[in-house]
Amino acid sequence: MRAPNPHVEVAAVNPRRGAVVLMVVLLSCVLILSAQAPGRGGRGATLLQSWILTASAPVTTAVGAVSHGVSGRIASTIDLFTARTENDKLRHDLDERDKELFRLRAELKQRGEARRLEAEGSALPGVVGSVPVLLLERRAGVYSVLVGAGSAEGVVPSSPLAVPQGIVGRVVAVGRNVSRAQLLLDASAAAGARIARTGELGVIRGDGRGALTLNNIATTSSVARGDLVESAGIDGIYPRGVPIGRVESVARGSKLFLEVRVTPLADFARLTDVLLLAPSPAARENPEITKGGR
Amino acid sequence: MKIRRIALLLAAAAVLEFLVAGSRYRALWPVDWFLLATAAVARSGDFVRAVLTGAIAGFAEDAISQPMLGVNAFAKALLGFVLTLVSVRIAFGGALAVGAALGVASLANEAIVALLSALLAQSPIVLISREAIWRAVVTGITGGALEAAWNFGWRDWWKRRRLRRLR
Repeated sequence: MRAPNPHVEVAAVNPRRGAVVLMVVLLSCVLILSAQAPGRGGRGATLLQSWILTASAPVTTAVGAVSHGVSGRIASTIDLFTARTENDKLRHDLDERDKELFRLRAELKQRGEARRLEAEGSALPGVVGSVPVLLLERRAGVYSVLVGAGSAEGVVPSSPLAVPQGIVGRVVAVGRNVSRAQLLLDASAAAGARIARTGELGVIRGDGRGALTLNNIATTSSVARGDLVESAGIDGIYPRGVPIGRVESVARGSKLFLEVRVTPLADFARLTDVLLLAPSPAARENPEITKGGR
Repeated sequence: MKIRRIALLLAAAAVLEFLVAGSRYRALWPVDWFLLATAAVARSGDFVRAVLTGAIAGFAEDAISQPMLGVNAFAKALLGFVLTLVSVRIAFGGALAVGAALGVASLANEAIVALLSALLAQSPIVLISREAIWRAVVTGITGGALEAAWNFGWRDWWKRRRLRRLR
Protein backbone atom coordinates (compact mmCIF):
# COMPACT_ATOMS: atom_id res chain seq x y z
CA MET A 1 0.00 0.00 0.00
CA ARG A 2 1.33 3.45 -0.88
CA ALA A 3 2.12 5.74 1.98
CA PRO A 4 -0.13 8.76 1.43
CA ASN A 5 1.57 10.98 3.99
CA PRO A 6 4.34 13.12 2.40
CA HIS A 7 6.27 13.21 5.70
CA VAL A 8 6.60 9.44 5.80
CA GLU A 9 10.10 8.14 5.18
CA VAL A 10 9.21 5.03 3.13
CA ALA A 11 12.39 3.14 4.04
CA ALA A 12 11.57 3.39 7.72
CA VAL A 13 8.04 1.93 7.44
CA ASN A 14 8.15 -1.51 9.02
CA PRO A 15 4.99 -2.23 11.00
CA ARG A 16 6.00 -5.79 11.92
CA ARG A 17 9.23 -4.68 13.60
CA GLY A 18 7.33 -1.83 15.20
CA ALA A 19 4.75 -4.26 16.56
CA VAL A 20 7.50 -6.42 18.10
CA VAL A 21 9.10 -3.35 19.75
CA LEU A 22 5.65 -2.24 20.94
CA MET A 23 5.03 -5.64 22.54
CA VAL A 24 8.41 -5.54 24.28
CA VAL A 25 7.81 -1.97 25.54
CA LEU A 26 4.28 -2.74 26.73
CA LEU A 27 5.45 -5.91 28.46
CA SER A 28 8.26 -3.98 30.18
CA CYS A 29 5.77 -1.34 31.31
CA VAL A 30 3.44 -4.01 32.69
CA LEU A 31 6.35 -5.62 34.57
CA ILE A 32 7.45 -2.28 36.02
CA LEU A 33 3.87 -1.44 36.95
CA SER A 34 3.30 -4.84 38.54
CA ALA A 35 6.39 -4.33 40.69
CA GLN A 36 4.88 -1.10 41.99
CA ALA A 37 1.39 -2.45 42.65
CA PRO A 38 0.40 -2.09 46.32
CA GLY A 39 1.63 -4.87 48.55
CA ARG A 40 4.26 -6.08 46.12
CA GLY A 41 7.41 -4.08 46.63
CA GLY A 42 6.00 -0.57 46.65
CA ARG A 43 9.10 0.39 48.64
CA GLY A 44 11.39 -0.19 45.64
CA ALA A 45 9.23 2.00 43.47
CA THR A 46 9.29 4.80 46.03
CA LEU A 47 13.07 4.56 46.20
CA LEU A 48 13.28 4.62 42.39
CA GLN A 49 11.02 7.64 42.22
CA SER A 50 13.06 9.31 44.94
CA TRP A 51 16.24 8.76 42.88
CA ILE A 52 14.57 10.08 39.74
CA LEU A 53 13.35 13.17 41.59
CA THR A 54 16.85 13.78 42.97
CA ALA A 55 18.49 13.29 39.58
CA SER A 56 16.05 15.58 37.80
CA ALA A 57 16.15 18.25 40.52
CA PRO A 58 18.67 20.63 38.84
CA VAL A 59 16.70 20.69 35.58
CA THR A 60 13.27 20.91 37.18
CA THR A 61 14.38 23.63 39.57
CA ALA A 62 16.01 25.68 36.79
CA VAL A 63 13.03 25.40 34.43
CA GLY A 64 10.65 26.01 37.34
CA ALA A 65 12.52 29.19 38.21
CA VAL A 66 12.31 30.36 34.58
CA SER A 67 8.60 29.52 34.55
CA HIS A 68 8.04 31.48 37.77
CA GLY A 69 10.02 34.37 36.35
CA VAL A 70 7.99 34.37 33.13
CA SER A 71 4.65 34.20 34.94
CA GLY A 72 5.86 36.92 37.31
CA ARG A 73 6.63 39.09 34.30
CA ILE A 74 3.24 38.31 32.72
CA ALA A 75 1.53 39.26 35.99
CA SER A 76 3.58 42.44 36.09
CA THR A 77 2.61 43.20 32.48
CA ILE A 78 -1.07 42.76 33.31
CA ASP A 79 -0.65 45.06 36.33
CA LEU A 80 1.14 47.54 34.13
CA PHE A 81 -1.64 47.68 31.54
CA THR A 82 -4.32 48.10 34.21
CA ALA A 83 -2.42 50.88 35.88
CA ARG A 84 -1.67 52.58 32.56
CA THR A 85 -5.31 53.53 31.91
CA GLU A 86 -5.55 55.19 35.32
CA ASN A 87 -2.18 56.90 35.40
CA ASP A 88 -1.52 57.69 31.77
CA LYS A 89 -0.20 61.20 32.25
CA LEU A 90 1.92 60.33 35.25
CA ARG A 91 3.30 57.26 33.52
CA HIS A 92 4.42 59.38 30.58
CA ASP A 93 6.49 61.57 32.91
CA LEU A 94 7.98 58.64 34.73
CA ASP A 95 8.52 56.36 31.76
CA GLU A 96 12.20 55.72 32.37
CA ARG A 97 11.66 54.96 36.02
CA ASP A 98 8.73 52.69 35.21
CA LYS A 99 10.90 50.56 32.94
CA GLU A 100 13.37 50.08 35.75
CA LEU A 101 10.53 49.41 38.18
CA PHE A 102 9.01 46.83 35.82
CA ARG A 103 12.26 44.91 35.67
CA LEU A 104 12.77 45.03 39.41
CA ARG A 105 9.14 44.15 40.10
CA ALA A 106 9.43 40.94 38.13
CA GLU A 107 12.51 39.94 40.06
CA LEU A 108 11.11 40.85 43.46
CA LYS A 109 7.63 39.44 42.84
CA GLN A 110 8.72 35.91 43.62
CA ARG A 111 10.49 36.85 46.85
CA GLY A 112 7.60 39.05 47.95
CA GLU A 113 5.12 36.26 47.21
CA ALA A 114 6.99 33.87 49.49
CA ARG A 115 7.21 36.41 52.32
CA ARG A 116 3.52 37.32 52.02
CA LEU A 117 2.55 33.67 52.10
CA GLU A 118 4.56 33.04 55.26
CA ALA A 119 3.07 36.12 56.96
CA GLU A 120 -0.49 35.17 56.02
CA GLY A 121 0.08 31.59 57.07
CA SER A 122 1.33 32.48 60.54
CA ALA A 123 -2.04 31.34 61.92
CA LEU A 124 -1.40 27.81 60.63
CA PRO A 125 0.22 25.35 63.03
CA GLY A 126 3.88 24.33 62.55
CA VAL A 127 4.75 26.30 59.42
CA VAL A 128 8.25 25.25 58.32
CA GLY A 129 8.48 27.63 55.36
CA SER A 130 7.16 28.37 51.91
CA VAL A 131 8.09 26.29 48.87
CA PRO A 132 7.52 27.06 45.18
CA VAL A 133 5.19 24.90 43.08
CA LEU A 134 7.16 23.77 40.02
CA LEU A 135 4.46 21.77 38.27
CA LEU A 136 0.83 20.87 38.80
CA GLU A 137 -0.54 17.77 37.09
CA ARG A 138 -4.22 16.98 36.77
CA ARG A 139 -4.82 13.77 34.88
CA ALA A 140 -7.27 10.88 35.20
CA GLY A 141 -8.23 11.79 38.74
CA VAL A 142 -4.62 12.28 39.80
CA TYR A 143 -3.93 15.72 41.27
CA SER A 144 -0.26 16.10 42.09
CA VAL A 145 2.27 18.90 42.40
CA LEU A 146 6.02 18.98 42.18
CA VAL A 147 7.44 21.36 44.79
CA GLY A 148 10.91 22.86 44.86
CA ALA A 149 12.02 21.50 48.21
CA GLY A 150 13.26 18.10 49.25
CA SER A 151 15.05 16.23 51.99
CA ALA A 152 17.82 18.87 51.98
CA GLU A 153 15.22 21.44 53.09
CA GLY A 154 13.76 19.12 55.74
CA VAL A 155 10.84 17.75 53.75
CA VAL A 156 9.77 14.27 54.84
CA PRO A 157 7.02 12.04 53.43
CA SER A 158 3.56 13.04 54.68
CA SER A 159 4.57 16.64 55.40
CA PRO A 160 1.28 18.56 54.99
CA LEU A 161 1.10 21.43 52.50
CA ALA A 162 -1.22 24.39 52.92
CA VAL A 163 -1.94 27.92 51.80
CA PRO A 164 -3.31 30.59 54.17
CA GLN A 165 -6.85 29.71 53.00
CA GLY A 166 -6.56 26.03 53.87
CA ILE A 167 -5.04 22.61 53.39
CA VAL A 168 -3.67 21.73 49.95
CA GLY A 169 -2.29 18.19 50.27
CA ARG A 170 0.66 16.19 51.52
CA VAL A 171 4.10 15.13 50.33
CA VAL A 172 4.27 11.53 49.06
CA ALA A 173 7.70 11.21 47.42
CA VAL A 174 10.81 13.10 48.47
CA GLY A 175 13.92 13.77 46.40
CA ARG A 176 16.95 15.77 47.51
CA ASN A 177 15.71 19.15 46.28
CA VAL A 178 12.33 18.31 44.75
CA SER A 179 9.31 16.46 46.14
CA ARG A 180 6.00 15.25 44.80
CA ALA A 181 2.81 15.89 46.72
CA GLN A 182 -0.69 14.49 46.44
CA LEU A 183 -3.36 17.18 46.47
CA LEU A 184 -6.53 16.81 48.51
CA LEU A 185 -8.54 16.86 45.24
CA ASP A 186 -6.87 13.60 44.10
CA ALA A 187 -9.35 10.74 43.71
CA SER A 188 -7.33 8.70 46.23
CA ALA A 189 -6.74 11.46 48.79
CA ALA A 190 -8.54 11.48 52.13
CA ALA A 191 -8.26 13.33 55.43
CA GLY A 192 -9.99 13.30 58.78
CA ALA A 193 -12.32 16.30 58.92
CA ARG A 194 -14.81 17.92 61.29
CA ILE A 195 -17.63 20.35 60.79
CA ALA A 196 -16.53 23.40 62.78
CA ARG A 197 -20.07 24.41 63.89
CA THR A 198 -21.39 21.01 65.00
CA GLY A 199 -18.11 19.26 65.81
CA GLU A 200 -19.10 16.12 63.89
CA LEU A 201 -16.27 14.04 62.50
CA GLY A 202 -16.06 12.57 59.00
CA VAL A 203 -13.67 11.69 56.23
CA ILE A 204 -13.13 14.18 53.44
CA ARG A 205 -12.17 12.79 50.04
CA GLY A 206 -11.21 14.24 46.68
CA ASP A 207 -13.50 13.23 43.85
CA GLY A 208 -10.79 13.54 41.17
CA ARG A 209 -12.82 16.22 39.42
CA GLY A 210 -11.91 19.29 41.48
CA ALA A 211 -14.36 18.96 44.37
CA LEU A 212 -14.44 17.29 47.78
CA THR A 213 -16.98 15.05 49.49
CA LEU A 214 -17.41 14.69 53.23
CA ASN A 215 -18.34 11.12 54.14
CA ASN A 216 -19.57 9.40 57.29
CA ILE A 217 -21.85 12.23 58.44
CA ALA A 218 -25.00 10.73 59.96
CA THR A 219 -28.42 11.66 58.55
CA THR A 220 -29.32 13.08 61.98
CA SER A 221 -26.67 15.79 61.57
CA SER A 222 -27.69 19.44 61.32
CA VAL A 223 -24.95 20.26 58.83
CA ALA A 224 -25.99 23.07 56.50
CA ARG A 225 -24.76 24.83 53.38
CA GLY A 226 -21.92 27.25 54.17
CA ASP A 227 -20.63 25.37 57.24
CA LEU A 228 -16.85 25.45 57.59
CA VAL A 229 -15.09 22.09 57.34
CA GLU A 230 -11.66 21.86 58.97
CA SER A 231 -9.09 19.15 59.58
CA ALA A 232 -9.83 16.98 62.60
CA GLY A 233 -6.27 15.88 63.35
CA ILE A 234 -7.37 12.26 63.63
CA ASP A 235 -5.61 10.88 60.56
CA GLY A 236 -2.07 11.20 61.86
CA ILE A 237 -1.11 13.41 58.91
CA TYR A 238 -2.84 16.79 58.98
CA PRO A 239 -2.81 19.05 62.07
CA ARG A 240 -6.11 19.87 63.74
CA GLY A 241 -8.14 22.98 63.01
CA VAL A 242 -6.83 23.95 59.57
CA PRO A 243 -9.67 25.04 57.24
CA ILE A 244 -10.43 22.75 54.29
CA GLY A 245 -13.57 24.09 52.66
CA ARG A 246 -17.20 25.11 52.99
CA VAL A 247 -20.23 22.88 52.61
CA GLU A 248 -21.70 23.41 49.15
CA SER A 249 -24.65 21.03 49.29
CA VAL A 250 -26.16 18.40 51.56
CA ALA A 251 -28.18 15.52 50.17
CA ARG A 252 -29.73 12.49 51.78
CA GLY A 253 -27.56 9.51 50.88
CA SER A 254 -28.73 6.02 50.13
CA LYS A 255 -28.19 4.62 53.63
CA LEU A 256 -27.19 5.96 57.01
CA PHE A 257 -25.02 8.86 55.90
CA LEU A 258 -25.54 12.21 54.24
CA GLU A 259 -23.89 13.12 50.95
CA VAL A 260 -22.05 16.33 51.73
CA ARG A 261 -20.23 18.16 48.95
CA VAL A 262 -17.54 20.60 49.98
CA THR A 263 -15.96 23.42 47.99
CA PRO A 264 -12.25 23.74 48.84
CA LEU A 265 -11.13 27.11 50.22
CA ALA A 266 -7.72 26.93 48.56
CA ASP A 267 -7.55 27.96 44.88
CA PHE A 268 -5.87 24.84 43.51
CA ALA A 269 -5.72 26.14 39.93
CA ARG A 270 -3.53 29.10 40.86
CA LEU A 271 -1.02 27.58 43.28
CA THR A 272 2.38 29.21 42.89
CA ASP A 273 3.83 28.84 46.39
CA VAL A 274 2.65 26.68 49.27
CA LEU A 275 3.44 26.50 52.97
CA LEU A 276 5.18 23.41 54.24
CA LEU A 277 3.84 22.34 57.63
CA ALA A 278 5.70 20.19 60.14
CA PRO A 279 4.73 16.52 59.83
CA SER A 280 2.53 15.11 62.54
CA PRO A 281 4.40 13.17 65.29
CA ALA A 282 2.31 10.11 64.35
CA ALA A 283 3.61 10.23 60.77
CA ARG A 284 7.20 10.41 62.04
CA GLU A 285 6.75 7.52 64.45
CA ASN A 286 4.74 5.31 62.12
CA PRO A 287 6.34 5.11 58.64
CA GLU A 288 3.36 3.06 57.38
CA ILE A 289 1.29 6.27 57.32
CA THR A 290 3.75 7.85 54.91
CA LYS A 291 3.22 5.04 52.42
CA GLY A 292 -0.49 5.69 52.13
CA GLY A 293 -0.23 8.01 49.10
CA ARG A 294 -0.55 6.66 45.59
CA MET B 1 13.54 11.15 11.84
CA LYS B 2 17.08 11.31 13.19
CA ILE B 3 17.78 10.37 16.79
CA ARG B 4 19.30 13.78 17.54
CA ARG B 5 16.11 15.46 16.34
CA ILE B 6 13.99 13.12 18.47
CA ALA B 7 16.13 13.92 21.54
CA LEU B 8 15.70 17.64 20.80
CA LEU B 9 11.93 17.17 20.47
CA LEU B 10 11.74 15.36 23.82
CA ALA B 11 13.88 17.97 25.55
CA ALA B 12 11.72 20.74 24.10
CA ALA B 13 8.58 18.91 25.25
CA ALA B 14 9.97 18.56 28.79
CA VAL B 15 10.94 22.24 28.95
CA LEU B 16 7.53 23.36 27.60
CA GLU B 17 5.75 21.02 30.03
CA PHE B 18 7.55 22.67 32.95
CA LEU B 19 7.20 26.19 31.59
CA VAL B 20 3.44 25.85 31.21
CA ALA B 21 2.61 23.57 34.12
CA GLY B 22 4.87 25.49 36.50
CA SER B 23 3.26 28.83 35.77
CA ARG B 24 0.06 30.18 37.28
CA TYR B 25 -1.56 30.13 33.81
CA ARG B 26 -1.33 26.35 33.52
CA ALA B 27 -5.09 25.86 33.41
CA LEU B 28 -5.46 28.15 30.37
CA TRP B 29 -3.52 26.04 27.86
CA PRO B 30 -2.64 22.61 29.31
CA VAL B 31 -1.11 21.07 26.19
CA ASP B 32 0.20 17.49 26.35
CA TRP B 33 3.64 18.37 24.90
CA PHE B 34 4.95 14.81 25.29
CA LEU B 35 2.08 13.52 23.16
CA LEU B 36 2.86 16.13 20.50
CA ALA B 37 6.52 15.00 20.48
CA THR B 38 5.41 11.37 20.08
CA ALA B 39 3.00 12.35 17.30
CA ALA B 40 5.73 14.30 15.48
CA VAL B 41 7.91 11.18 15.38
CA ALA B 42 4.91 9.01 14.43
CA ARG B 43 4.26 11.40 11.50
CA SER B 44 7.59 10.34 9.96
CA GLY B 45 6.24 6.79 9.66
CA ASP B 46 8.92 4.96 11.68
CA PHE B 47 7.06 2.52 13.94
CA VAL B 48 10.05 1.56 16.10
CA ARG B 49 11.13 5.13 16.81
CA ALA B 50 7.56 6.28 17.43
CA VAL B 51 7.00 3.49 19.99
CA LEU B 52 10.32 4.15 21.72
CA THR B 53 9.78 7.92 21.72
CA GLY B 54 6.33 7.40 23.22
CA ALA B 55 7.77 5.13 25.91
CA ILE B 56 10.58 7.57 26.82
CA ALA B 57 8.22 10.56 26.82
CA GLY B 58 5.77 8.62 28.98
CA PHE B 59 8.47 7.62 31.45
CA ALA B 60 9.60 11.24 31.70
CA GLU B 61 6.02 12.28 32.38
CA ASP B 62 5.56 9.50 34.95
CA ALA B 63 8.79 10.43 36.72
CA ILE B 64 7.70 14.01 37.29
CA SER B 65 4.01 13.69 37.92
CA GLN B 66 2.59 10.19 38.23
CA PRO B 67 2.42 8.02 41.35
CA MET B 68 3.20 4.88 39.31
CA LEU B 69 6.07 4.67 36.84
CA GLY B 70 5.02 3.22 33.50
CA VAL B 71 1.36 4.17 33.07
CA ASN B 72 2.00 7.05 30.67
CA ALA B 73 4.87 5.10 29.07
CA PHE B 74 2.41 2.27 28.31
CA ALA B 75 -0.20 4.68 26.95
CA LYS B 76 2.17 6.78 24.85
CA ALA B 77 4.04 3.78 23.38
CA LEU B 78 0.69 2.35 22.29
CA LEU B 79 -0.42 5.72 20.91
CA GLY B 80 2.92 6.12 19.11
CA PHE B 81 2.23 2.86 17.27
CA VAL B 82 -1.40 3.72 16.51
CA LEU B 83 -0.57 7.25 15.32
CA THR B 84 2.16 5.86 13.01
CA LEU B 85 -0.33 3.34 11.67
CA VAL B 86 -2.85 6.11 11.03
CA SER B 87 -0.16 8.27 9.44
CA VAL B 88 1.07 5.51 7.12
CA ARG B 89 -2.06 3.57 6.22
CA ILE B 90 -4.81 6.15 6.05
CA ALA B 91 -4.97 9.01 3.54
CA PHE B 92 -4.41 11.53 6.22
CA GLY B 93 -3.26 15.12 6.39
CA GLY B 94 -4.20 18.72 6.97
CA ALA B 95 -4.30 20.68 10.16
CA LEU B 96 -7.91 19.75 10.98
CA ALA B 97 -7.38 15.99 10.63
CA VAL B 98 -4.13 16.08 12.60
CA GLY B 99 -5.74 18.23 15.30
CA ALA B 100 -8.72 15.88 15.58
CA ALA B 101 -6.47 12.79 15.73
CA LEU B 102 -4.37 14.40 18.47
CA GLY B 103 -7.47 15.34 20.44
CA VAL B 104 -8.72 11.76 20.29
CA ALA B 105 -5.22 10.48 21.16
CA SER B 106 -5.10 12.77 24.21
CA LEU B 107 -8.46 11.42 25.44
CA ALA B 108 -7.28 7.85 24.78
CA ASN B 109 -4.09 8.56 26.76
CA GLU B 110 -6.23 9.81 29.63
CA ALA B 111 -8.49 6.74 29.51
CA ILE B 112 -5.57 4.27 29.41
CA VAL B 113 -3.87 6.00 32.37
CA ALA B 114 -7.14 5.97 34.33
CA LEU B 115 -7.75 2.28 33.58
CA LEU B 116 -4.20 1.23 34.47
CA SER B 117 -4.28 3.28 37.70
CA ALA B 118 -7.61 1.71 38.63
CA LEU B 119 -6.36 -1.80 37.86
CA LEU B 120 -2.96 -1.58 39.52
CA ALA B 121 -3.32 1.03 42.27
CA GLN B 122 -6.99 0.35 43.03
CA SER B 123 -7.62 4.06 42.67
CA PRO B 124 -11.11 5.36 41.80
CA ILE B 125 -11.57 5.50 38.06
CA VAL B 126 -11.98 8.94 36.49
CA LEU B 127 -12.29 8.27 32.77
CA ILE B 128 -13.38 11.59 31.31
CA SER B 129 -13.31 14.88 33.18
CA ARG B 130 -13.79 18.48 32.07
CA GLU B 131 -10.03 19.00 32.37
CA ALA B 132 -9.31 15.96 30.21
CA ILE B 133 -11.61 17.29 27.49
CA TRP B 134 -10.05 20.75 27.64
CA ARG B 135 -6.56 19.21 27.50
CA ALA B 136 -7.62 17.17 24.43
CA VAL B 137 -9.05 20.27 22.75
CA VAL B 138 -5.96 22.43 23.31
CA THR B 139 -3.60 19.59 22.39
CA GLY B 140 -5.57 19.13 19.16
CA ILE B 141 -5.59 22.87 18.40
CA THR B 142 -1.86 23.21 19.12
CA GLY B 143 -1.02 20.11 17.07
CA GLY B 144 -3.19 21.32 14.19
CA ALA B 145 -1.59 24.77 14.30
CA LEU B 146 1.91 23.27 14.31
CA GLU B 147 0.97 21.02 11.36
CA ALA B 148 -0.41 24.03 9.45
CA ALA B 149 2.71 26.06 10.23
CA TRP B 150 4.96 23.16 9.16
CA ASN B 151 3.20 22.79 5.79
CA PHE B 152 2.84 26.49 5.09
CA GLY B 153 4.95 27.78 2.19
CA TRP B 154 6.90 30.28 4.23
CA ARG B 155 9.51 30.85 1.48
CA ASP B 156 6.89 31.74 -1.16
CA TRP B 157 5.03 33.88 1.30
CA TRP B 158 8.21 35.78 2.15
CA LYS B 159 9.06 36.25 -1.55
CA ARG B 160 5.58 37.54 -2.33
CA ARG B 161 5.76 39.88 0.63
CA ARG B 162 9.07 41.29 -0.52
CA LEU B 163 7.82 41.74 -4.09
CA ARG B 164 4.74 43.56 -2.82
CA ARG B 165 6.96 45.89 -0.82
CA LEU B 166 9.22 46.60 -3.81
CA ARG B 167 6.22 47.57 -5.94
